[in-house]
Amino acid sequence: MRLTSATSAAAVLAAALHAHAQHPPVPPPAPPEQRPAAPANAPVRVGGGERPLFDPAAVERGREILVARCGFCHGTNGRGGAGGSDLTRSPIVQEDEGGRQLGAFLKVGRPEKSMPKFDLPDQEVADLATFLHATIHAVSNRRDYQILDIVVGDPKAGAAFFQGAGGCAGCHSAERDLKGVGAKYEPVALQQRMLLPRGGPRPGAPRRGFSPYTDPNAVKATVALAEGPVTGALVRLTDFDVTLYDPAAEQMRSFLRKDGQPAVTLSDPLQAHVDLLRRWTDKDMHDVTAYLVSLK
Amino acid sequence: MRKQTLALSLALALPAAALLANDLLDPALLTRPPVDSWPTHHGDYSGRRFSPLKQIDAANVKNLSLAWVYRANTSQAGAVVGGEGPDTPPGGGGMAMFGGLQIKSTPLLVNGVLYFTAPDHVWAVDARTGRELWHYYWRTKGGIHIGNRGVGMYGNWLYFLTPDNYFVSLEAATGKERWHHEIASVRREYFSTAAPIVVRNHVILGVGGDSLDVPGWLESRDPVTGEVQWKWYTTPRKGEPGAESWPDEYSAAHGGGMPWLPGTYDPETNLYYFGTGNPNPVLAGQSRAGDNLYTCSIVALDVDTGKKAWHYQATPHDTHDWDAAQVPILIDGEIGGKPRKLIAQANRNGHFFLLDRTNGRHILTEPMVETLNWHQGLNRNGQPVWNPAKDASVPGTLVMPTTDGVTNWPPPSFSPDTGLFYVGTVESASVFYLTDTDPRPQGWGAAERRVASLNSSLKAIDYRTGKVRWSRPLARHGGGAAGGPMGLLSTAGGLLFGNDGGGNFVAYDAATGQPLWRAGLATNTTNGPQTFLLDGRQYVVVGAGDSLYAFSLQ
Repeated sequence: MRLTSATSAAAVLAAALHAHAQHPPVPPPAPPEQRPAAPANAPVRVGGGERPLFDPAAVERGREILVARCGFCHGTNGRGGAGGSDLTRSPIVQEDEGGRQLGAFLKVGRPEKSMPKFDLPDQEVADLATFLHATIHAVSNRRDYQILDIVVGDPKAGAAFFQGAGGCAGCHSAERDLKGVGAKYEPVALQQRMLLPRGGPRPGAPRRGFSPYTDPNAVKATVALAEGPVTGALVRLTDFDVTLYDPAAEQMRSFLRKDGQPAVTLSDPLQAHVDLLRRWTDKDMHDVTAYLVSLK
Repeated sequence: MRKQTLALSLALALPAAALLANDLLDPALLTRPPVDSWPTHHGDYSGRRFSPLKQIDAANVKNLSLAWVYRANTSQAGAVVGGEGPDTPPGGGGMAMFGGLQIKSTPLLVNGVLYFTAPDHVWAVDARTGRELWHYYWRTKGGIHIGNRGVGMYGNWLYFLTPDNYFVSLEAATGKERWHHEIASVRREYFSTAAPIVVRNHVILGVGGDSLDVPGWLESRDPVTGEVQWKWYTTPRKGEPGAESWPDEYSAAHGGGMPWLPGTYDPETNLYYFGTGNPNPVLAGQSRAGDNLYTCSIVALDVDTGKKAWHYQATPHDTHDWDAAQVPILIDGEIGGKPRKLIAQANRNGHFFLLDRTNGRHILTEPMVETLNWHQGLNRNGQPVWNPAKDASVPGTLVMPTTDGVTNWPPPSFSPDTGLFYVGTVESASVFYLTDTDPRPQGWGAAERRVASLNSSLKAIDYRTGKVRWSRPLARHGGGAAGGPMGLLSTAGGLLFGNDGGGNFVAYDAATGQPLWRAGLATNTTNGPQTFLLDGRQYVVVGAGDSLYAFSLQ
């Protein structure tokens, strides 16, 4: 039963991964904002980590069984080795439910392919299956992939780009607004904010947490009216209407449009960031990231 | 004229069972531009989504009004219930994960009845009144409920696929199930979304799912029994042509390539045309050096044998999830003053491709947007050249566009009247972080963080040159651009139906892109709009979220 529920939870997470592969315009409900990154070998958790999806002790026992009994041929991580196949890609393993099919297979082996039979106690088969299913789940659940150490750039080169070609110093300073910024954000979040500090980065999905009502970096719109222009944060602009939020008056304003009237002018406070998106080299991006991380 | 002759010869070749006078669907309809029916996913086999109807035109479209709304009923009560799953759906993977129920299917319209789907659901709705005739509810074992493109029809029978990979046939009159067959394993992360395409006595299906490096295939099944007629793997088996584009047999057999969208068909060539999915592992390419045929390709198969006639790979060695599943549209056109049988695709990788559909020979490739930063130009066959520097890397690689691509699954349209290929596009950026540095990575192998959606637009491309004739910006909000890829329909009334990215269903002037009419549905349309004539009245039907809307002149 445990593994059955694990499988359906795996489907939940796998589902999240596919939302965007096929259909960009519809952001699904977001996962927890800052899901703690799990070490590669940690038990996989769902729902923000309240409940382990796989019993960590069983996963660990299964790993030990794999290393001791299977690792010689199938590798110590199960991905295949000296003559043995990748167990995590094996249809028998992937189709297995709670060790039942795996156990039946192990009792017989595959002698014609030099796979001996193994007479393991049921509990060991179940633990081995748990480890393999946890490994497969970690593969299929790309939202929880752990980003590795991204701070590999040259901070001095980053500072030079910041002061020079990047044009960052036109608005920012390490002594003023960016003072201590390297201590304020994790490197990935810092890199994301460096690229475009609007909303929060969200794995595999459009940015979340953005609101034109509260984000100071929202695109601004000015609507040309006969009685004078109205300016505010842009909520929505189409050919048929424009909606904006006027922070001074603390109110929403909307206007119907036809044939381009009333005229709307947009102004993006982050235009320099948007323009830079087309100019960044990956090296410059890594260097400036390293520079900002160094501003502790 | 030529089309009608074709239809006749096709009808003569049909098995007798399909020609009974009381059948709901006359198969000859599928070879003609749709008028008083919409009998197959794209309206006809060409994929053009062009209607010869012109009761609604540029002059009177301002009078287009709501005829009815049908809000999707998902209750088991009163439904015809089938399926292998438990009474209560297993947790997770359900439609709630994908913004709730979204009608992504294009309804079929046969004899005044609309047939359409969402994952686990099929509905028959009276096209005159919008009232539900029956509802079929599939009890699922699980799987990814991201969307379902709709049903296929043969005589009196309907066919659809479920997220847990069952091929199900229903009686069209009642919704009663005839049979179901499991086509792939949900435990291996396969899931099915395609609308079956019926060609004579073939029902053509593709599978989806790229989480676990499993093989992809397209198959044909018998409309009477549901049994497999042929099966074509999207990557070569040992010793087959194309195997040289993989390091070894093993990597090819785990190389993905899911053909997850319905394709097109030409009765004259007897070829079925479709796009294949991305290779696996998805974003980490280090274990699959080579072009990775036949992933990310436009492929033509003989519809009777499943043998490949030709292929054209739009993205050799893809490392960004840019499958080539988008609809390949058949165009009978002219190049250099000579009539040609063409096939065109607006590809997720940001390029428009034009080929000769008799042999797959390349004619032209043009970028649809200016911000692509991921390839090293085009080779002499018009294919983008892989740039290893733009693969996912541990410290991050800035790629434009995101994994969603410049366009995606929503069906584009081609109008023979304007000679324009219409497609919704978006320009965007993501950082790709390599997370699996193993020489044998698995699954996706890298994480993506989205940075920006910069511009979105509706574009009209001249198929003869690949150049954008006009481009209309879509909606914007305070965080950037909204919308982009969208289902489209062009008509002989000079109209192009689509959305504006801002929650409006819009009729554009097909020649200029000027918006002529809109309905504020508050949510963007989620399927391909379609149209038909019923009792002398032209209807336009579109899905937006959980509701189907019908419009006509009042």
